[in-house]
Amino acid sequence: MSEENISTGRDSLWSKSRRKLMRDRAGVAAMIVVGVYGLIAILVYLGLIGENWSTLGEEGFGGMSSEHWFGTNINGQDIFSRAIQGIKTAFEVGLVVAVTATAIGGILGAIAGYFHRTIVDEVIMWLYGCIDAIPFYLFVAAVAFSLKGTDLQPWGMHIAMIATFWSSTCRIVRGEVIKIRGLEYIQAAKAVGVGPLTIVRRHVMPNTTHILLVQSTIAFVGAIKSEVILTFLGLGVVDGVSWGTMLSESTSDVLRGHFGNFLGASGFLFVLVISFNMFADALQDALDPKKVSS
Amino acid sequence: MLCKTRSTPRKLAPESIMSESTSKPVLSIQDLVVEFKTEAGLIRALDGVSFEVQEGEALGIVGESGCGKSVTALSILKLIPSPPGRIAGGSIELDGVDVVSQPDAEMRKVRGSLASMIFQEPMTALNPVFTIGNQMVEIIRVHQKVSKAEAKKQAIEMLRTVNIESPEQRIDQYPHELSGGMRQRVMIAMALSCSPKLLIADEPTTALDVTVQAQVMEEISRLQREMNMGLILITHDLGVIAESCTRVVVMYCGKIIEMAETEELFRNPRHPYTRGLLDSIPRIREKKLETLPIIEGMVPDLANLPKGCRFADRCPKAEDHCRENEPPLEDTESGGKVACFIPN
Amino acid sequence: MEEPLVQVKNLKTHYPIKGGLLNRPIGAVKAVNGVSLDIQAGQTFGLVGESGCGKSTFGRSILRLQHVTSGEVQINGKDILSLDRQELVKARADMQIIFQDPYGSLNPRMTIRQIVREPLDTHKIGERADRDAEVMRLLEICGLRRSVADRYPHEFSGGQRQRIGIARALALKPKFIVADEPVSALDVSVQSQVLNLISNLQKEFGISFLFISHDLAVVQHISHEVGVMYFGELVERAPAEELYAAPKHPYTQALLKAIPQPDPGREKEHVSLTGDIPSHNDPPKGCPFQPRCPVAKPECAESKPPLKPVDVEETSSKHQVACWLY
Repeated sequence: MSEENISTGRDSLWSKSRRKLMRDRAGVAAMIVVGVYGLIAILVYLGLIGENWSTLGEEGFGGMSSEHWFGTNINGQDIFSRAIQGIKTAFEVGLVVAVTATAIGGILGAIAGYFHRTIVDEVIMWLYGCIDAIPFYLFVAAVAFSLKGTDLQPWGMHIAMIATFWSSTCRIVRGEVIKIRGLEYIQAAKAVGVGPLTIVRRHVMPNTTHILLVQSTIAFVGAIKSEVILTFLGLGVVDGVSWGTMLSESTSDVLRGHFGNFLGASGFLFVLVISFNMFADALQDALDPKKVSS
Repeated sequence: MLCKTRSTPRKLAPESIMSESTSKPVLSIQDLVVEFKTEAGLIRALDGVSFEVQEGEALGIVGESGCGKSVTALSILKLIPSPPGRIAGGSIELDGVDVVSQPDAEMRKVRGSLASMIFQEPMTALNPVFTIGNQMVEIIRVHQKVSKAEAKKQAIEMLRTVNIESPEQRIDQYPHELSGGMRQRVMIAMALSCSPKLLIADEPTTALDVTVQAQVMEEISRLQREMNMGLILITHDLGVIAESCTRVVVMYCGKIIEMAETEELFRNPRHPYTRGLLDSIPRIREKKLETLPIIEGMVPDLANLPKGCRFADRCPKAEDHCRENEPPLEDTESGGKVACFIPN
Repeated sequence: MEEPLVQVKNLKTHYPIKGGLLNRPIGAVKAVNGVSLDIQAGQTFGLVGESGCGKSTFGRSILRLQHVTSGEVQINGKDILSLDRQELVKARADMQIIFQDPYGSLNPRMTIRQIVREPLDTHKIGERADRDAEVMRLLEICGLRRSVADRYPHEFSGGQRQRIGIARALALKPKFIVADEPVSALDVSVQSQVLNLISNLQKEFGISFLFISHDLAVVQHISHEVGVMYFGELVERAPAEELYAAPKHPYTQALLKAIPQPDPGREKEHVSLTGDIPSHNDPPKGCPFQPRCPVAKPECAESKPPLKPVDVEETSSKHQVACWLY
């Protein structure tokens, strides 16, 4: 009988990654910041805070005070509440786009990679090639315009983002899967008689989850940034408020010397994007299978 | 420190090789300790290793994964990546140079000129985007003040020395255009271009086919004799050791557990691990065996070493007190050393 | 005399080399170039050769794990190369494979239990509850404790991972297993353990093995018959004792001489083999070994010698060589 290494309990690659992540202090700090944002987003969604973002006040351009932490905008609305609402908007867009785009990109990428050198791969590559060729903001404008007046109109921006963001994930996953395809555990599954789609589902995709996780964080931040720009340009959120709306307002505000809107929106946006990027880097390091498995 | 060029390799009279060397050894390692910081904690890849290599001597270091043989080689040229590793104790004296206290800038002058190293995978050790010539010239010009043309001439001569045919054409080829055996010979040529006093070969033939292996080992042995170089040959292949080395060091879990003249080691291995290794390594035997002899169990995890003798768990002769105390490395009557309470 | 369990006739696996402006086929890498052999039930055939000789390609070709250009493969009475998809899946239960790389042959995201159970699940063998019991039984047969079942591959050493790979290969109770360099990546002291395991499994379950290796020493004790491949072709084949005692082909002789022996007293043979294996871009005419052969004659470059029985006294009729010397 051969002896085993003395190992305490189950030790999947996930738990090893988690431990490694916890040791990266900058990454943990970033994760906490993102967590706080997320918590605020949930509270706003439940209507517990920031709900008076649209109440008009008498005093336009009020300075910072104990009632209005960031002051008020031209309509007397509380900038802080609006900024908090912006978090909810950002997270909503971010989550929907990140999850959907990554899922689509992951599945199509795995299929393209596994069926490399067949027509399936060629078609999928052609598809994302076409998508990449279209300038993003024009595409969004086109989608928004075509959905005008239909039920899907509020989702125009989301649809446009998903339709473009999946391609980068698809490409990366495809490259990884082409490598995985040649590994012996895939050959072993074939030798047992496992069918190709089952192999993709059971063997290939779980070994791409580290990529998907990191890609989804990138898509999340990308969606938020895009949303801000689109709303600023008037193509995005129409009801509700987002940082884009605030930044759009601020273009005229700052000409009159009022920076509340600008600082509020860009401040919150900046901190979220930086933290999320740091967190994504730490996550990538922790999940890198070459560094994790012994 | 600039290296001297020799137009012809120094030939040594056969008698001098046999006689007792009264001169200082080319390499002297005393109580070397090397630690690595890992997820599982601080592990000691080398735990008090001591040995010497004389001028013109071929020393073999044999052992399995985790025994520390590669770490030893890297330490000699101070190539241990730090972090996570570091030399935590002991001394390394390379032809009078105290390696452990040398700053990196000084070590760069030592590497390639005083001592050189060749590695297992010639494909990854050579840069695929540069020609052989480029890489050899670069090394020569690090250690000598010569023009590119002069360096290239020297490089072509070195290729000839390692028996590469038509070196004038080969010098302008890329690594992928050469076979594995040829690439390894280029590595050897590069390592020897400044006539070092010590050549460290880390599993130089493991990645090669057995017919090519024989050719490359011939080259190494011949050049070692002609240049009167010290050679440290690191391998898990006892056959290669038997054919090319005069003395052998056996390592296990970061420690030397036996040291002896080659003939003595094979004829009469003292340590149970050495004996087990000799018995269990697959080799061509006179008669077919029904069951091959084995060493029970596996090499222990360096982060979880057992108390006492590190081999005790797998040793067929282990007694209680072997598991309590670590046996020290002691002299044997035949001039070797063994670390065992119950040697043969 | 029984029909052999495995019969391979003239197997060829060629890969086209494309080149030129329009990427036309300008030649071919003939990885396997007309190899025939057969293996009786309960016997091991050791297939030996150096890198690039095509032995691994051969092993995978006969299991139809990669494309085959031409030839015939009969395993357990089934014509493997002509089966349709569903029949092939069923036939896979008879023929399994063990891989060389213990680190790449197990899915790092699956537990050992899942890995060893997959063949049983795929072929729907027994009830779900029975399958777990079967996994335990297989692990024990391969010398592993039951507690390994819920762990992950990265927690184990190379030798243990190979045992897990062997347990997986045994799950479908195959009659034939291709072992593709199963011990080459292991520490030397562990190699014998795994070789003994394979040998015991053969005696206990009567499985036939095609044992592929570059190491003649590894193959000596475990094979009943040994074949030597060079540049895609079988150049010699004989019962194991005979091949080692009286090798006939110059390449086999050179291989045996080149292996370093752990015996310092032995006189080192002079290395007689120079050069490298030929390139597929420019294959040699006639016998593929002739450019390096120390005893080549002019006719060796004219035509290729076929593999035929040696007509010399002390060798048995089962000893075959592809060489014009005989």
